[in-house]
Amino acid sequence: MGGERLKIILSLTPPLLIIITLFFGGIFYGFLQSLGYQPAIGKYELNFSAYYNVMFSERYAKLFWSGLALNLWVSFASTFLAAVFALFGALAIRKTFIGKTLCNFIYSLNLPMPHLVVAVGMIFVFSQSGLLARLAAQIGMISSPGDFPVLVKDKYGFGIILAYIWKEAAFFFIILMSVLQSLGENFEELAQSLGANRWQRFRYVILPLVMPNLFSASIIVFAFSFGAYEVPALLGVIYPQMLPVMAFEFFLNPDLNARSEGMALSIIIALIVMILVVFYFWLTQAKIRKD
Amino acid sequence: MSELKIQNLVKNFQGMDRPAVNNVNLDINSGQLVAFLGPSGCGKTTILKMITGLFQPDNGNITLDNESLLPIPTEKRGVVMVFQNYLLFPYMNVNENVGFALKMKGVDKKTIDERVKEMLDLVKLPDIGLRKPKQLSGGQQQRVALARALIASPRLLLLDEPLSNLDAHLRDEMRELILTIQQKLNVTTIFVTHDQEEAVLLADKIALIFDGELQNYTSPKNYYEKPKNIKAAKFFGGVNFVKADFTDNKIQSEIGFCEYEGDNISNLNKKLFLTIRPENIKISKNTEFDHNSYQGEITSVIFSGTHTRYKINVNNVNLECSLQSVGIDNIKESDKVFIHLPKDKIWGMND
Repeated sequence: MGGERLKIILSLTPPLLIIITLFFGGIFYGFLQSLGYQPAIGKYELNFSAYYNVMFSERYAKLFWSGLALNLWVSFASTFLAAVFALFGALAIRKTFIGKTLCNFIYSLNLPMPHLVVAVGMIFVFSQSGLLARLAAQIGMISSPGDFPVLVKDKYGFGIILAYIWKEAAFFFIILMSVLQSLGENFEELAQSLGANRWQRFRYVILPLVMPNLFSASIIVFAFSFGAYEVPALLGVIYPQMLPVMAFEFFLNPDLNARSEGMALSIIIALIVMILVVFYFWLTQAKIRKD
Repeated sequence: MSELKIQNLVKNFQGMDRPAVNNVNLDINSGQLVAFLGPSGCGKTTILKMITGLFQPDNGNITLDNESLLPIPTEKRGVVMVFQNYLLFPYMNVNENVGFALKMKGVDKKTIDERVKEMLDLVKLPDIGLRKPKQLSGGQQQRVALARALIASPRLLLLDEPLSNLDAHLRDEMRELILTIQQKLNVTTIFVTHDQEEAVLLADKIALIFDGELQNYTSPKNYYEKPKNIKAAKFFGGVNFVKADFTDNKIQSEIGFCEYEGDNISNLNKKLFLTIRPENIKISKNTEFDHNSYQGEITSVIFSGTHTRYKINVNNVNLECSLQSVGIDNIKESDKVFIHLPKDKIWGMND
């Protein structure tokens, strides 16, 4: 019994040490910095002025709130659209047909691709100097590539949303395919024999069955896209700017005092994501209790 | 009440070296309860799925009340299938599960509630409407699945292995319930099973299927007394098969001349097999019988409580006889005996 317990403790210790060191050593120290604690420049006092500055000061408030709105819009839109595309893709591809393996491969291809590469790919394809713009100009659809709609580096974040859809749809797709394959088609066949048409089978059978997995995957994708830096940095504009880019710019500021604002912004991003995750767990636990 | 006709039905699947269903023909009368009986993989469920429209046949036709079902989509056929593993929607409670078909038809909530209550009463589960499927036992889930199918007032009810997932005591209960409900609603019903006892206890008629082919389609009693071929006879526990020649209206078998009263005499080929149930063979140590009486030697005696099973060698043909243990002569291994195959109990088969 004692040996078993020791074995468990020994096997849990290394990952726990890493988590604790990172959390308390990194994030906790970052949190202290966001409260103004910076011994390197002689600041030891703890206060919330960096948070106040970021959210309410005349200098940063507009940037912050417009950035937060853009963050929420981009994360919600890209998560929702990626999930929708993946769901319809998975529903179409799960049936047996010639070329299924190829379709499966193409759909999953983006998964191992780094976000940075996807962002650069977006510029190559969708920017006003990109392939599509030049092709449209060549075939006379538009008079010059400059007339191509602004899809990359636009203030509504379309380019960023497109990049996330392109990338995250593969993640949703793989999860949905495994769920749909494990469910089989019996529930749908049953519903069909009970009189459900195609739409009703989707609405009352497929959607409720895949929803728990789809929702979990959505939380992961939303949390990632809310806090990720590289895609908005490459495909975003200066104003409005997504919060992770804004936070990083605070860090790049030669004025070391700005680090507190940068850290406060990072903590706010982390808090929003954490609230979302806690809400998700509360919802799932409530559902389990209800069941 | 609906009459189903299956004509020349064929279904092939890629990778199979024989058709999954091969030229099946059968008629099911209104209100009948028919069993599709056969071993796993013989094509029973495939036929069921073609009737529902979940599979399209490669050839043949299926008509319900003289109207072909083939051009009608599954959801409009009025043919409801209860699957082997019940498939209650896990995210719905019992009321919602049972009311599903009416909701799909756009029936108002009040009517749905009333009909759900009616159906749950019918399957004797009146108080579980708010429970989720995982809070139900296997037997309860099966009843809910049945209620969910019946609420749709199906023209044809299909049950895929309805009792196979239940414990022995629940099987009896469920069998009784299916029979009562089927008779009460008079709904034409087909059920699939691999258990011959279940088929015999429930069905008006049994369609015996092997390797995608219909072997025999008749009443349960006939399977015991008048099987169509050796395969059918063996599936129902037949063990006695004697080769015979049929010439000049006389049957000469490998155990001797045989008087025959079967009503299929005009259909018998020149070469045939005779069969008789073990319980219909009589034995005597001393007395010869007036007809179909043969002499043999007991090769084994197996006592199994109420009955005793004897193996008898007659002219190098092994026959089995089952007699009630009480009141029989003291017959032992190696005893010479007379056996009697009554002419009204013996049955001839062409293959």
